[in-house]
Amino acid sequence: MKIAVVGKGGSGKTTTAAVVARAMARSGRSVVALDCDTNPNLGLSLGLGDAGTDALVTLRDSLDEGTEEHAASWAEIIERFGVDAPDGVRLAVVSRIEEPEPG
Amino acid sequence: MLNVAFVGKGGAGKSTIAGTIARMLARRGEPVLTIDSDPMPGLSVALGLGTPEAGLPDDATVAHVEGDRTTYRLRMTPAESIEAYAATGADGVRYLQFGKLHGHVSLGRSQAAFRHIIADLPRDQWHVIGDLPGGTRQPFFGWGDYAATFVIVVEPTAKGLLSARRLARLAPKGEKRRIVVVVNKAREGDAELVGARTGLEVIGAVPAKEHFRDADRAGVAPLDHLGDVAADPELDAVRSVLDNLLGKVVVQ
Repeated sequence: MKIAVVGKGGSGKTTTAAVVARAMARSGRSVVALDCDTNPNLGLSLGLGDAGTDALVTLRDSLDEGTEEHAASWAEIIERFGVDAPDGVRLAVVSRIEEPEPG
Repeated sequence: MLNVAFVGKGGAGKSTIAGTIARMLARRGEPVLTIDSDPMPGLSVALGLGTPEAGLPDDATVAHVEGDRTTYRLRMTPAESIEAYAATGADGVRYLQFGKLHGHVSLGRSQAAFRHIIADLPRDQWHVIGDLPGGTRQPFFGWGDYAATFVIVVEPTAKGLLSARRLARLAPKGEKRRIVVVVNKAREGDAELVGARTGLEVIGAVPAKEHFRDADRAGVAPLDHLGDVAADPELDAVRSVLDNLLGKVVVQ
């Protein structure tokens, strides 16, 4: 099952996504939570705390720095660059804006 | 003249505070130009305009072809372009929209017009108040460069504080640039808390009362909701933020 949570800023997307992810994990499903926001806060709602959330390596960074000729499978990428959140949810952050760029 | 851009996490209250400040300034008889690069219609609602068509049409610019390169220049002066294309909102605030593209308008021309107007706008003629989209994607990718002061609107939550620290880290640095915080939906002591947790200068705290939320639910500007309540604590707090930005008072 793949679920995307969307909505206006501040409406509760992140909180909803985190609660759904943890509730599904608690009921025994294996869950990957993907934070696709460039201002990624999903780690906070999953319970990783401030430092844990801001320290996450983004998938985009991990791919940019890669030297492998072929992209790894999604499962391998999630395994290598994701982190474990409470209830067994595996969290991965897609992209975080770190440097102001022109354009 | 003010030259301010409002940034912050989605839902923090950027548009509401920016629009209210613009109108309070206009009510004092000052010329105010607001710039909306957020595709969500928050600022236009705060200005009593609903969701208007106030973008820059293709004929705001003239194409210049040199070899295989096409550049776009303004057809009129920046002041004339504003006169022609900016909507007039409540209290006489002028409103230009950049974030949303309607129908046939081309992205390149609209952005070129935006950049020329901002770059060549006579700064002594208009107070400029900008509203940027929530989060970190747009604010510091060229869209907020016009601002001398960035106001980060922060709701005192863990997400709001983390977002504020990211925005402060990403803000263009420069001796003449000022980065300040306005706390929104604040409880007692939150101004101090947010100042300590972000390390930034807090110039005001808008309390979490019913007025702004009721206005938001009704889809009208706080200044138009139940009239202009003279002693409303939320509006009073926004007024004192405006005074701070104008350099009239120093809070905290």
